[in-house]
Amino acid sequence: MQAITKRNLMLGGAALAATLARPALAQAMDVAIIGFQMSSETHARAANAAAAAARAKGWNATVLNSEGSLPRHAEQLDTLIGRRPKAIIVCMGKPVEAEAQFQRAKAANVPVITIMSGASNDTLFDIQVNEYEVGAKAALWLLGELGYQGNILTQRFEGNVGTRIRGKVLDVVLSENTGVRVLGTHTMARTASWRDDVRQGFQALLLRHGAQTQGIWASFDGQAFVIDDLLKVRGAKKGQVKFVSIDGGAETYRRIADPDSTLMATVTIPFEEMGTKAVDAAERIVVKGEPKGAITSGPYLFMDAALVDGNNVRRFL
Amino acid sequence: MIRRTLARYGTALAGVALFAFFALGSPVFLTPDNIALILKETAFLGILAIGFTLALVTAEIDLSIAEVASLAAVVTGALVHGGTNPWIAVGAGLVVGTLCGAANGVAVTVLNVPSLIATLGVAAIAKGFSFMLTQGVAFVGRWPASFTNLARGTLLGVPNLIWWLAGVGFAAWLLVKWTRLGAHLVATGEADEAARLAGIRTRSMKRLALTLAGACAGLTAVLLASSLSSAAPAMANDHFLYAIAAVLLGMSMFEPGRPNIPGTLFAAFTLKVLGNGLVLLGAEYYWQDIVLGTIILVSVALSATGTGKAPFVKKLNFRR
Amino acid sequence: MTSLLSLRGIGMSYGAVTALRDVNLDIAAGEVVALCGDNGAGKSSLVKILAGAQAPTAGTIMLDDTNERFRDPQDALRKGIATIYQDLAVAPRLSIWQNVFLGSELTRPPFGLLDKRRMAEMSRGFLARLAVDIADMETPVERLSGGQRQAVAICRALRWDARIIIMDEPTAALGVKETAQVLDLIRRLHAEKHTVILVSHAMQDVVAVADRVVILRGGRKVEDRPVAGLTAGDLAAMIMQRAA
Repeated sequence: MQAITKRNLMLGGAALAATLARPALAQAMDVAIIGFQMSSETHARAANAAAAAARAKGWNATVLNSEGSLPRHAEQLDTLIGRRPKAIIVCMGKPVEAEAQFQRAKAANVPVITIMSGASNDTLFDIQVNEYEVGAKAALWLLGELGYQGNILTQRFEGNVGTRIRGKVLDVVLSENTGVRVLGTHTMARTASWRDDVRQGFQALLLRHGAQTQGIWASFDGQAFVIDDLLKVRGAKKGQVKFVSIDGGAETYRRIADPDSTLMATVTIPFEEMGTKAVDAAERIVVKGEPKGAITSGPYLFMDAALVDGNNVRRFL
Repeated sequence: MIRRTLARYGTALAGVALFAFFALGSPVFLTPDNIALILKETAFLGILAIGFTLALVTAEIDLSIAEVASLAAVVTGALVHGGTNPWIAVGAGLVVGTLCGAANGVAVTVLNVPSLIATLGVAAIAKGFSFMLTQGVAFVGRWPASFTNLARGTLLGVPNLIWWLAGVGFAAWLLVKWTRLGAHLVATGEADEAARLAGIRTRSMKRLALTLAGACAGLTAVLLASSLSSAAPAMANDHFLYAIAAVLLGMSMFEPGRPNIPGTLFAAFTLKVLGNGLVLLGAEYYWQDIVLGTIILVSVALSATGTGKAPFVKKLNFRR
Repeated sequence: MTSLLSLRGIGMSYGAVTALRDVNLDIAAGEVVALCGDNGAGKSSLVKILAGAQAPTAGTIMLDDTNERFRDPQDALRKGIATIYQDLAVAPRLSIWQNVFLGSELTRPPFGLLDKRRMAEMSRGFLARLAVDIADMETPVERLSGGQRQAVAICRALRWDARIIIMDEPTAALGVKETAQVLDLIRRLHAEKHTVILVSHAMQDVVAVADRVVILRGGRKVEDRPVAGLTAGDLAAMIMQRAA
């Protein structure tokens, strides 16, 4: 009895696996996409867009999730290199930690394109937005709206390169414009429950300085959503406080357009376009045989980051 | 006879079938490079899971292995990063792992805290220390080759990681199956009171097993840091559930219902075959978790009669 | 008659509670002595003292006319006293030979690895002495009958060459047929000139195998006489009557 059950299960499993595997077994342009942490929205947006773009071209695209684990990331890269896909696209990867894997890929002639990961000698290039430029856009929008006069509160996050740079650029901009003062700053601790952290921290800032505050700067949109909800509870109206953040995305645009929300502007990181761009670049290099230099010079391919506020948000909805 | 053979080797045969399936499905799968790759990946999981197995042999559960490994990796990484002699750094990583294991042992056998709770406590402390040391930021760099070769190098044409796995696996198997000490570990886990009345120092055995589990975590940590040339808090956490899965899966083969080293090793290998094969076949990432979970449920269910009788299961009151 | 084991003035107190008072007992080599008494009479305390699990608070133990003090059960075992506890005697999932050699495994040079073959062979030999026939020494004890399990536990005593085997309620959890098997085992031990101390509530067992019966009550020895000529009913009456 037991034997029969087991055999049936094995056969069933084999059938299932055969179903899963079928698309990849056909001979076609094969591209592998790794999202470092697919439970993070930005990673998933870039990876899924890349997969969609590849499939639109009739390619086979496999999406893998490293689940934020470096050992697993390295293992997946190693395995993929053995499979010899035509290209590997890595979203928010770790080129220094995965150096050995990228070297293997290069030796095996598997081109690697990274998205928002940082540059490496062993990859083609890294598709990035220029975080310094992004930071400057957000900071200057805020100062412009304030007329270069007034008090602001800031919500920062130092645990990520991008958000850290945005904060530093804000500091530089403020150092040139002394009419705007930072009344208070909350720095998010890197924990799983970061939303609670932001809510508690910023709540305290608002209690203390809320009445004197004319502007708010948040290092990424997720923080801005939490703060927006706090402001709404306090009865704040859109425009009373100039409120900017960075990242972009459907929910951000909805809030910018929503008169009941207090969020006024964001600088959009085009995660989807980055994924698409990576696939386009792979096509030009691998399929059409163009040299890397035809796509970008240097280790980066910079994407435009648009400022979105009430004036142009309709175009993004 | 057939039924007994199936109970003993059934899940192992399923693993072999999986292997054959991937071999048919992907031309790359059976290449020496790919097999070597799977074995190398098995090293981390396998050594960590061997530690868990040894603790489980004495009917104690070590939930701290992953956090202890992460802490040991961070300590090793911090020292290598700071330019300390790599051998000292390696020693420090092993010592940290072993000490954490000994702390588990003392908590369980001297303070009489159940291992399920004691090891959770040590895990939390280890996690705290690794964040304290790193402030959440990884140690990354181009570390000396003498250190990275521990995991990346080869000996006699065979990758070092495979040597490590084979060495630790053989030593653990020899210990459990062929030494008096091992027989006492097994007796402690199987029948604590009978073993004590027979003159076996059961508390020392439990302490030893938990300490060895810590040492295995320390070695895993050193190899991980060496392989990735980096160290970060929580870096080994991904292996935690897989290690437990490997041990439970291993209990469904060779010696049904008992934690055993060959079973653990074969199950760890099978889990890595699964991950590797699915990637090679181009299955989407979420299928890996679905298939993995299914395999664990099915194989443990098929051997549940044996597993359900294991002393640690009774201890946990998991039994229906 | 020279005594193998002599107890003189044995007393045992747990704080204010006195479990044994001034117990004197002599046991000759090759004797089967039954130790009887109602619950709380002091049997368990006496067994624990003889097994080395606890030290008496008064009195002396003489083994072969030498003063002895047992540090722990292992010490008592080394000195030739093996105790077989009712339910803790075996590790159910371990094999026969693993149980027989539990805690005292044999090794083999040059590497000091376990000599599994010799342990299995010796186990088979011990079982043969008890006339118990089991084919596979790798069989887990949990698959054996209750009588066979007692045999395995006795084999552990034989492995130590124990001169005195204490059996604590060996038939308490057994059916009629298995009880008969265990009584057979005791007769075999008797035939091999082993000394057996049988702790039992089953008077018919005592009558069947014991040479002598010792009855305890309230921590004192109240009866010590040959079994010959007594019935189970007589024994029960001795315990009950005086307890009333």
